[in-house]
Amino acid sequence: MAKFQWLHQKTEHGPLSQLWDSFRQQHAAVVGLMLFGFFSLIALFGPLLTPYDPYLQNPDALLLPPSWDDLGDVRYLLGTDDLGRDQLSRLIKGASYTFGIALVTAIGALLFGLLLGVLAGMSKGFRASAFNHVLDLALTIPSLLLAIIIVAILGPGLVNTIWAIMLALLPQFVHGIRNTILQQLEQEYVIAYRLDGANNWQILRYVILPNTWEQLTVLFSMALSTAILDIAALGFLGLGAQAPAAEWGLMVADALDLIYLSPWSIALPGLLIFIAVLSVNLVSDGLRTAVRKRQEN
Amino acid sequence: MIWHYLIRRLFLLSFVFFALTCFAFSLGHLFPGDPLVNFSGISQPDDELMPVLVQQYRLDDGYLQQYIAFLQRILQGDWGLSLASQQPVLHELKLVFPATLELVAYALLISFVLGVPLGLLAAIKANHWSGRAISTIALLGYSLPIFWWALLMIMLFSIGLGWFPTSGRISVLYEIPAVTGFMLPDILLSGQTYWQAALQDAIRHLWLPAFVLATYPTTVMIRFTRDAMLNVWQQSYIKTARAKGLSRSQVLYRHGLRNAMLPVMRQLGLQFSTLVTLAMISELIFSWPGIGLWLLDSINQRNYPAIQGGLLVISSLVILVNILMDVLHTLFNPLARKQANG
Repeated sequence: MAKFQWLHQKTEHGPLSQLWDSFRQQHAAVVGLMLFGFFSLIALFGPLLTPYDPYLQNPDALLLPPSWDDLGDVRYLLGTDDLGRDQLSRLIKGASYTFGIALVTAIGALLFGLLLGVLAGMSKGFRASAFNHVLDLALTIPSLLLAIIIVAILGPGLVNTIWAIMLALLPQFVHGIRNTILQQLEQEYVIAYRLDGANNWQILRYVILPNTWEQLTVLFSMALSTAILDIAALGFLGLGAQAPAAEWGLMVADALDLIYLSPWSIALPGLLIFIAVLSVNLVSDGLRTAVRKRQEN
Repeated sequence: MIWHYLIRRLFLLSFVFFALTCFAFSLGHLFPGDPLVNFSGISQPDDELMPVLVQQYRLDDGYLQQYIAFLQRILQGDWGLSLASQQPVLHELKLVFPATLELVAYALLISFVLGVPLGLLAAIKANHWSGRAISTIALLGYSLPIFWWALLMIMLFSIGLGWFPTSGRISVLYEIPAVTGFMLPDILLSGQTYWQAALQDAIRHLWLPAFVLATYPTTVMIRFTRDAMLNVWQQSYIKTARAKGLSRSQVLYRHGLRNAMLPVMRQLGLQFSTLVTLAMISELIFSWPGIGLWLLDSINQRNYPAIQGGLLVISSLVILVNILMDVLHTLFNPLARKQANG
């Protein structure tokens, strides 16, 4: 027989462990999280793990197929490209470019977005309304198109791409954070705290921000998948990372002329982009479900 | 009361257009190079033309006068010349814009026809294997980088199986005069003897780009239809309807689907901008002569007047669709109507 309890079991845990409990029950999300961790590690320590220098050209081993093919060479596990560079090393190096830079970009956009979103959420009257209108405008211009325009002004290159994508991600962060803050401001505990004599800053610091981090993580994971896709797409279009860089989207574009000769050199980098985005989306979906479940409890 | 809401939307629309033209105008100064060349598109204006243009564009005056002159030119249809071809930008836009609209329209059609029923199925059979399979496929499709997906499809269907051509809207064998700019109606209007063969050829060209472009909106449609339907299915009016003795399908279509489609419609408006961006990338891969391919070429050629014009047209389209969807959503949804008024 179950032990008699005054309190419901679940309330004994803090919100974080409650969230983790319901996240852990979704197997797909956990697999996504593992993949996400794997990609993060590769992005951080990848340059130490590559079997060859990703830019080293070997004229004796051009366009080798992957090693399980009859024509493959076991020294080059995933084959080589048209300049004889090792695919595996380039793909590992590409994780730092595509995945790592997307991570940095999304974090930057989160910080700026938090600042602007708080300003927008806490302001009232004309200022808030003007802010809304500007946001509505910025949200309607597609993020990739905005990035393309910014790159057109600044000129192609990886650093410009980072700024462009950060700017392009900003509106959705500001919009999301502002809405969360507005929702929080209507809560009774905020009013109670205000009646206790707390000023705006105290309300923000001690009541609102601790209640928004779940929403922030969800927003962040959504922005991250957009950032990966945008960096790869800009690389593919020739506007992002430039020629020798081992960025995954750029690698697909480089291999376009070889589509008949070596289809694997298009398939592999694309597959990695796909898995990276998929892992982020799995985590994002799992988080959203877990947040919903926790709030229902 | 609804007029009040419509007027507010109209005000928003005009504000957004104002900001957009301001942005497009400032691009003329932000782009590298001489603003005169960036606005007019005449790469080397001679000594006679130069003072006329400076006078016309009011480049000696302040930014406000320049902006007003810019606005007048936009309204009069003088969008400058393309630096690459020395053709009027507006004329080129009229040729490429319908091609993009056509592609986007077919992709949206496919996504409606496939996405809504699949999303419904996934909601009704949420715990059945078929529902799970649909949700999984939707998540996979949602994560696909479109350029890679397009290349895979080309490798499979064009290079491998040889079913579909890889590029263009129609084979060069057929000469179809552009009347509406939309390929299929144009073929029907052309009155050529080979119109049936041309129609078949155009449809063969359309399949692959439309399918690839439809992947993203279809998965969005499935996800949102499913979520909205699951949400609606828990409402008490569904229970009431069942308790009244309505059959499952009656409840589903009369009470469920109608309410579930409202958030889906709203999402469609929000996702439209992503769809346009994806259309640009698929146009590049399939050499589809639309506004995306044209704009990307212009960026590579540093063709600033064309970039300016293309940005203006694409953003206006996105904004119009967005606001239209918002208005439709409010008109159809009594709850949102109440909120908009109150």
